[in-house]
Parts: sequence; C-alpha cells; structure tokens
Amino acid sequence: MTLILLPLVPMLAGVLCLVTRSRASWERLNLLAFVLLVPLACKVSADVLDHGTTSTLDGFLRADALSALVTFLTAFVALACAVYGVGYLRRDERDGRISGAQLRRYYVLTPLFVGVMLLVPLADNLGVMWVAIEGTTLASVLLVTFYNQRTSFEAGWKYIIIGSIGISLALFGTIFTYYSAVRVLGEDAHYGMNWSVLVGVAEKLDPDAMRLAFIFVLLGYGTKAGLAPMHTWKPDAYSEAPVPTAALLGAGFINCAIYAIARFDMLAEKSLGHEFPGKLLAGFGIASILVAAPFILTQRNFRRILAYSSIDHAGIMIAALGFGGKLGALGLTLHMLFHAMTKPLMFFCAGNVQQHFATPYFRQVRGVIRSLPWTGSLFFMATLAVTGTPPFGIFQSEFTTLSAALAAGRSWSASLFIVGVVTIFAGFLVHMARMNLGTARQDAPSYPSECPWKLSAMAVAAVPVIVVGFWLPRPLHQLVQHTAQIIGGTP
Amino acid sequence: MTAPVELGSQLITLMAALMLVVQLFMVVQQMLLTNIRLFAIQSLFLAGIATVIGYAHHATHVYVLAVLTLLGKVLLLPRLLTRLVRRINIIQEIEPLLNAPTSMLLCGGLTLLGYLVARPFTSLERLGNNTLAIAMTLVLTGFFLMFNRRKAITQVLALLTVENGVMLAAVALTTYGMPLVVELGIFFDVMVAVMISGILVYRIRESFASMDTSKLTQLKG
Repeated sequence: MTLILLPLVPMLAGVLCLVTRSRASWERLNLLAFVLLVPLACKVSADVLDHGTTSTLDGFLRADALSALVTFLTAFVALACAVYGVGYLRRDERDGRISGAQLRRYYVLTPLFVGVMLLVPLADNLGVMWVAIEGTTLASVLLVTFYNQRTSFEAGWKYIIIGSIGISLALFGTIFTYYSAVRVLGEDAHYGMNWSVLVGVAEKLDPDAMRLAFIFVLLGYGTKAGLAPMHTWKPDAYSEAPVPTAALLGAGFINCAIYAIARFDMLAEKSLGHEFPGKLLAGFGIASILVAAPFILTQRNFRRILAYSSIDHAGIMIAALGFGGKLGALGLTLHMLFHAMTKPLMFFCAGNVQQHFATPYFRQVRGVIRSLPWTGSLFFMATLAVTGTPPFGIFQSEFTTLSAALAAGRSWSASLFIVGVVTIFAGFLVHMARMNLGTARQDAPSYPSECPWKLSAMAVAAVPVIVVGFWLPRPLHQLVQHTAQIIGGTP
Repeated sequence: MTAPVELGSQLITLMAALMLVVQLFMVVQQMLLTNIRLFAIQSLFLAGIATVIGYAHHATHVYVLAVLTLLGKVLLLPRLLTRLVRRINIIQEIEPLLNAPTSMLLCGGLTLLGYLVARPFTSLERLGNNTLAIAMTLVLTGFFLMFNRRKAITQVLALLTVENGVMLAAVALTTYGMPLVVELGIFFDVMVAVMISGILVYRIRESFASMDTSKLTQLKG
C-alpha cells in the first residue's frame, strides 16, 4: 500500500492543482503532498529493513534497500525544494518575472515530476522503469522553459532532444536484455522484464546480447545522469530552470538515473563478469570528472557551475560503480546519500544570490556574506561540503571511492580522479571566496531576499549537511549497508 | 517450421526491408510534408509486421501494438505534425547540412554498420535474419537524420524514426513483443513527447522567428 501511495500522492496533488485557482491552495497542496512523502518513504525503509524486500500489486512495485534509499533521498530533496519553492516563486511574482498561469504550471508539473520520479526506483519491470524515466523528462521540460525567454526555449529544446536520443538508446538496451531473458525463461517470458526475475537467471543470459545491452543502457541512462560526453544539456537546463526545479533535477533525479545504471550493471556483472562493465563505467566516470574540471575552473556563471559540479558527481558515482568490489559499492551508496543531502543547499543559496543581485554572473556579485549573512555563510559551507572537504560527508564517500580504485589496482584511474577532484576544489574555492567575501556594492536592492520560507528550506537542507558527516542515524546506516551489499552482488 | 510461420517470416523480412527503403527516401527527400507522409508509411509497415507476428505466433497482445501503431503513428501523429507545419507557415524546404548523394553514401555505410553489429544475433530460428540488422540501421540513420537537419520539426521526425527502429527490434528480437503495460507506457510517452516538442517548436518559432536550431546558440560554457 505504501508503495502505491508514494507515486500516487504527489500525482494526485498535481491534478488537484490543475482544478484549483488560488496561489494559496496550490502552495498548500504541494506542501501537503511533499510532507506526506517523508513518513511514507520512512515506512518503506522500515519495511525493507524488517523483511528484506517488499512488493505490491502482484510484484509490479517492489522495493529493496537500494530502492528504499533512493526513494527516501528523493522524498527529502522534494520536501526541501517544495518549501524553498514557495519563497522563491513569491519573490519572482513580486518582481514581476512570472504570471499567474506560469505559477500554476509550476505547481501542477512539479508534483507530477516528483511522482513519476518516485516510480523509477519502485518499478520492478525494467520497461516500466524506462517509461518512468522518460516521463520525468516530459514532466520537467516545460519547467525548464518556465521563464519563457529565448534562452529557456533553447535550453528546453536541447533538454528534450538530447534526452530523447539517450532514452531511446536505453530502450534499445532494455529490449536486448529482455531478448536474452526470453531465450532463458521460455514459457515465463512475460516476466522477462522484471528485475527480480532477471537477477535470478542473470548468469545464464546471453553474453553477446548483454554486452550490447549494457553499452546501450549506459549511453542512454548516462545521458540522463549527465555523464560526459552526453552532458551538454545539463548546464543549460540547470541554469534556465527555476532554482527549485534545478535542485530537483540535480540532487533528486540524478540518483534515479544512476540507480537505473546500477540495476543493469548488477545484471551485466553476473552475465559478463566484472571486467567489461567495470572498465566501461570507470572510463565514463573519470572522463566526466575530467571534463567538468576545466569548466568549473573557468566558469563565470554561478548557476552553470552547479551543473558542472553535478556532472562531476555523476562521474564519481559511476566511477565508484566501475571500480567495483565492496568498497566501490559502498562508495557509490555513500556518495548518492551525501550528494543528495548536500546539493540542495548549494542550489538554494545560489537562487537567493541570483534573486537578490538579479544576475547569475560571479563578477557582478561581491560580499554576499555582508548583504545576505545566512545565505553567504551557508553557501560557503555548502561549497566546502560539496567539493569533499573533511569533515563533511562527501569527503568520506570520495575517499572510499579512491580506496576502491586502489584496491582494484587501477592506479591510473585513481590519480586522474585525484587530479580532477582537486582541480574542482580549487576552482570552486576561488570563485566562491571572491563572491562571498569582500564588501557589498551600494546599489544592491533593499528588499531582503531571505524570507522565512527560504530560510526554513535552507535549515532543512543545512542540518543534514552538518550532521551526516559525523553521525548517521542507525536505520540510515543499516540501509546504506544493505544497499552496498545489493550493489556489490551479495544480497 | 509450419507453413504460416515460414510465410510470416518472409513477409516480415519484406516489410522490414521496405521500412528501410522508406527511411532512405526520407534521407534524400527535401519537402517537409512529404517527409511526414513517408514517416506515416514507414509506421504502416511496422503495424503490418506486428500484425503478421501476432497472427503467425498466436500472440494476441502483439495485435495491441499493431493497433496502437496504426492509430498513433500512422493516423494521429502525422496529422498533428501536418497541422503544426501549416499553422506556423514555414518554408517547406528542409535545408540539410549535407547534400543528397553524400547523405546516401553515409547511410549506406551506416547500413553496413547495422548489419555488422547485428551479426552475432542473426541466428534466430523463427524470424527473418535481416530484421534486427534493419532495426539497428533505422536507429543509426535516424540519428544521422537528426544531425543532418536544422529545422526543429524535422528533428522530431528523425526521433520518431529512431523510435520505429527500436519498436521493430522489440518485435523482431522477441517474437512476443513486450509486456502490455510497457507497450502502453511507451506509446503514451511517445505521444506526449511529440506534443511537448510541438509546443516547443511553436514557441521557438514565435520567439526566434525561425525554426533553425543552429540559431540556438546563446547558451555557452
């Protein structure tokens, strides 16, 4: 029952927003739906910790620890974004940037987007998972083009076209997987798309078909995750979309895309062994980190730098999966967790700065800490956290990933990994120090950009950033361990 | 092998080959409306293949795929796209980046590549061996079409031919087609995707006074 409610509650809220007329009711419906998601997601996690897996609707929806973790993280990000969105959009409305119709578009599409996104980790059928991932693209395109500027349409067009190319490759890969399953399963072929069935027969799947399937799936879902060289839609979409949508894409959806790749990797490793998928994943992962690094170093726009950071982190996750072994699986799991907990704060602070100074460019912004003390200091903290400075969580997951690379004997990958991560750290630090410190300009607007909604969203996002570096609550810790075991192939 | 299966497999190979021929027509055809019609014809062959498979293997739910393809890709989508083209009143010429002979030559190469990639799987017992290779070729040439054309609406068309290739692979590889819920989901997604792209094409046309996607270059770095 809980599994059905998770995607259903936000979708229902979206439909209700379509028929209601006032801003107050849209805001309430959205907040209500996203607040409800958190206990639901906790319930699924608790069930999974008790019973191992839980399923409903004759196995149509199924959750194990990995699904539960991704669901929980998505629910967390969605709630933080919903609270922030209220303050952000009220400010936009007051500044005259958006109309009532646009406001409604946001409040209808956002819960639909989240609902479809929650279907991704819960669908057992890989075909349904594909439909859900394509659905997230479709639900979010009109959010990317939200501001109706020329640049928004450019970003939206790249987003839907590049995304659709990728996703059709992923469908091709899914079909190849199904094909090899049909040959093994024979009579029970109509279950041949269910992951829980596939994983049982994965050793017997035709290796030729699985090799091709894995390449297609990695290219396809890798496009959605933003791996280089298929990442080109990402900076445009992230910088043109409203900030809460960008945060949902960058902190929530990225996990769903990585999740899909991880599911296929588990099948491919059983059929092909670790060598082939591992090399491919590590290659794409390291390439993404290295592609992101120079763009971060020379970036002029603080919205786009977040997209390159997200490309970098997708790369780290995929590289961790590629290095494999217990350490790799743990590194990936921890990184999914810490990244989803850290990234929303970055987006929120960037959004505040952009609305306050009315520009997305570093060079036009100085002294954020003086004019927006909370935003400035949290922005600085989040930057340190997201670039992997101890004591924050991402340091641990990056360190685990690095150990996985060394344990697997991939010293070249390990050194390139270090080069990339250090470059990105330096780039971020230079930009952020220049922007946050120093004296503010006189002509900054007097209207305060830190309203209670934004501040509470930032608090919701900031507390876990500080806490999880030192202490993981016991259930979360168990969930991480179980997830790492599933990804590592020893459930 | 029984007689209807034998005949069916030959029919499937024939129609798959015709899909490829139509695809090559699209590569060299310069008029937009003709391109949309060619896409409808290609989808009709896909629906035909699904029907034959449903009949020869007594797989009832493949008929559903046939009906969906017929309604969606043969009737509804071409009509929608034609209306969009008329409404935004654009010039019919497609203006590809590469000229027809070069495109044709490249697509010949892509066909070879398609056959090469599909070779390990061509020992299928029940189906025409060529079908998978053709599906692969449709996907590859579909990507080529997408890069070769600048108008936003032709990129949508190219994407739809890629989709046709993927669906051909789905029926050709498995002979069952996919589970019904997945087929319905894919169908729904494709419909919504085309409608949203239609909206975007319309808005791009409005704000750029052009549909040329090579003018979408403001976002950099």
